[in-house]
Amino acid sequence: MRLSDASVVIRPRTTWEAMDLGVLLSQRHRRLLITSWAIVTLPIFALLTLLLWDSPSLAVFLFWWLKPVFDRLPLYILSKAMFGETPTLKQALRQWPRLLRPQLLASLTWRRLSLSRSFLMPVVQLEGLAGEERQQRLRVLLQRNAGAAQWLTIIGVHLETALWIGLMVLFYMLLPQQVELDWGWQTLITAATQDWRWLEHLTNTFYVLVLIVWEPIYVACGFSLYLNRRTRLEAWDIELVFRRLRQRLTSTVVTLLLAAILLVPTAPNVWAAEPVISPDSPRLLEQPLTSQASRDSIKAILDRPPFKNKETVTRYRFGEDKPASDTADDRQTPAWLKALFSLLDSQRFGVLASLIEVLLWGTVIGAIGLLIWRYRDWLQAFVNRRPTLNRKVARPLPQQAFGLDLNRETLPADIAASAESLWQSNPREALGLLYRALLSHLLHDFNMALKPADTEGEVLQRIEQLQQPALLAFSKNLTGHWQNMAYGHRLPPAHLQQELCDGWRALFGTGAVR
Amino acid sequence: MSEQIEPGTQTHATQQRQRASQLAQAVRTELQKAVIGQNIVIDDVLTALIAGGHVLLEGVPGLGKTLLVRALARCFGGEFARIQFTPDLMPSDVTGHAVYDLQTEQFKLRKGPLFTNLLLADEINRAPAKTQAALLEAMQERQVTLEGRALPIAQPFMVLATQNPIEQEGTYPLPEAELDRFMLKVRMDYPDAEQELNMVRQVSRSTRADMLDVQPLRTVLQAKDVLALQRIASDLPMDDQVLDYAVRLARSTRTWPGLTLGAGPRASIALVRCARARALLRGGEFVIPDDIKGCALAVLRHRVRIAPELDIEGLEVDQVLKQLLDQVPAPRE
Repeated sequence: MRLSDASVVIRPRTTWEAMDLGVLLSQRHRRLLITSWAIVTLPIFALLTLLLWDSPSLAVFLFWWLKPVFDRLPLYILSKAMFGETPTLKQALRQWPRLLRPQLLASLTWRRLSLSRSFLMPVVQLEGLAGEERQQRLRVLLQRNAGAAQWLTIIGVHLETALWIGLMVLFYMLLPQQVELDWGWQTLITAATQDWRWLEHLTNTFYVLVLIVWEPIYVACGFSLYLNRRTRLEAWDIELVFRRLRQRLTSTVVTLLLAAILLVPTAPNVWAAEPVISPDSPRLLEQPLTSQASRDSIKAILDRPPFKNKETVTRYRFGEDKPASDTADDRQTPAWLKALFSLLDSQRFGVLASLIEVLLWGTVIGAIGLLIWRYRDWLQAFVNRRPTLNRKVARPLPQQAFGLDLNRETLPADIAASAESLWQSNPREALGLLYRALLSHLLHDFNMALKPADTEGEVLQRIEQLQQPALLAFSKNLTGHWQNMAYGHRLPPAHLQQELCDGWRALFGTGAVR
Repeated sequence: MSEQIEPGTQTHATQQRQRASQLAQAVRTELQKAVIGQNIVIDDVLTALIAGGHVLLEGVPGLGKTLLVRALARCFGGEFARIQFTPDLMPSDVTGHAVYDLQTEQFKLRKGPLFTNLLLADEINRAPAKTQAALLEAMQERQVTLEGRALPIAQPFMVLATQNPIEQEGTYPLPEAELDRFMLKVRMDYPDAEQELNMVRQVSRSTRADMLDVQPLRTVLQAKDVLALQRIASDLPMDDQVLDYAVRLARSTRTWPGLTLGAGPRASIALVRCARARALLRGGEFVIPDDIKGCALAVLRHRVRIAPELDIEGLEVDQVLKQLLDQVPAPRE
């Protein structure tokens, strides 16, 4: 790198000016940057799209995630072009695989989401620093321009989005009217239900197209920010001035020297005796007071009052200190309190204090938990406040609904036979068993969502929705007799036994429940 | 029934019950001829009539609230009076007052429109609170105190009040005490498309161009029939579990988190009475939980107050009550 070959004027700039320089830089080499970027990214995007045809969002996400990989190419081109060695397209592309090697994993994982990505990229790629060295470098670099670099990324994100949306809107507006008619917003919103995948891929493509234009500019801005920071740190501009001075003067210096020697031949001793004066020169180091010693003593004096008055105070503060009334208070505060305070001020109770802090926080968290538990009904009512539409809850099958035991295991194997045998001794129980078995059937075999709050009538309505006439007729009959007995206290007539049991067998077979 | 009743009386009672059911269903059929597409509302109004309660009808203008009441009055042979509530209506305009008679030189009591069997209080929320309060005594105790004398009102007595939910300007919302005295608050909603079509066809055919005619309805019910219906309904057997269900429903409104004000014991009583009336209307011989659940919404919706948070969220009382009905377990053995 030779600063004198730089194709830009090297001088300290403000951060925004530096970014502007980046924009100009990318503009000057726009053809190369955009072509190379497109050649690299478009095939990869196409490949991703083909591989992930069924999940377009994932494809574009992966592409977005891989941006640091692609960014290395424009940075290489810019760094070369900066010093007048602009590579050809072929050279640049040939270099790209080699550029990927250093710290690729890091830049794709934990450094991927760094906001100052483009600003710090040259450290790895151009300086080739890694590990502790890189950290030190970053620390120095980030002292000033970190904010601007982060803003650059934030602005970039917004610009990308705006351009993306703009491109989509442009596309939409360019549609012929007839096509547009079918593109109501509703159909766009309900796109998930139809085969609109190609549309999503189209929007992805727009994003990639936007990046072709924007990403090289982003990299260039970061690069120029980096250059600017280094110009300030290493005084490149001054170095350049000196170099230019030297170039201009090398020819004249010889003649000047010649002239001087010729003109002042009488005083060569003086010329020779004139030494270079520096604090480290041996002459000064041999003095009784060496420069090192004097420097140390100066430092020591500077560290003492009145130059510096360092004091370390650690104490607890209760609200606002009132320095004016301190003296008045001193007389009133008893000695034991002072002693206590001084005891507290000392670091001895540090562990105890942190323990108390933990306890207090624990109490607060516990109290919140207790409150939540106390008002859980209230919270449930207000969190679930909307009678949610279409939300299908996979509710566990109730085993104990209606105060009836609906578990299959508790029902006898042959319902009809058990009902028949029960009928003689206890018709009420037999009817109950049949009804219970019917509900159990509805619950387990027809997956009917029965709630404890459902009345017999509502259960019947649900059976009607199943559209099974035989089942409905039987259920109506059974429910009627069940209600007669349960709420009307009327014993079922004897002939009903055969009718209901036969009906049951006809519907569910003999051992259907188990 | 578990009680020991002689077979003769039992069959007699059953026959009576069946006849009562048929009568109630006949009224329903007549009303359905006049008021098209509001079958649920008709059932609710008849329920209140049989249960001996009062009804508050709420609905946007033009749904046939007044028509329903007029049709009911037409089917019912008793007296019918109507008060149009206005902001300047005075309590004495409702209850009646003493008038000085020049000939007999005495004060004579002039009874107000309240002394009737069927009272239509149209747009009840347009009158100020003092006039609304004139109804309180009549509705609860079925008597009116005029000039210090308590005058009984003829039985049966039923108040059908209508109100309009949208207009807020110049209306006086009914106080809770007044609301509680209405057994049911019935919401009228727009009829189905098919029924509306039917209705428009009929109305446009009628002689009075813009409203349905109630003239051709036949009178099927006399005042004493209503009393008999009420008596039969209150005799309908009711299982303890069903009773318990009604009470549980009313009680759960008091602890339900979405409601700041729950329903009082009057609600439980009204629930049970309505359930009996519905069972009779259905033609049933005893009360089942469906009867309770069917009228719970109308019985409870004006007796509870929704929590302000839910109100702000835009939830209706009905939605909260439906949630409640979905949670309270129905009785089973």
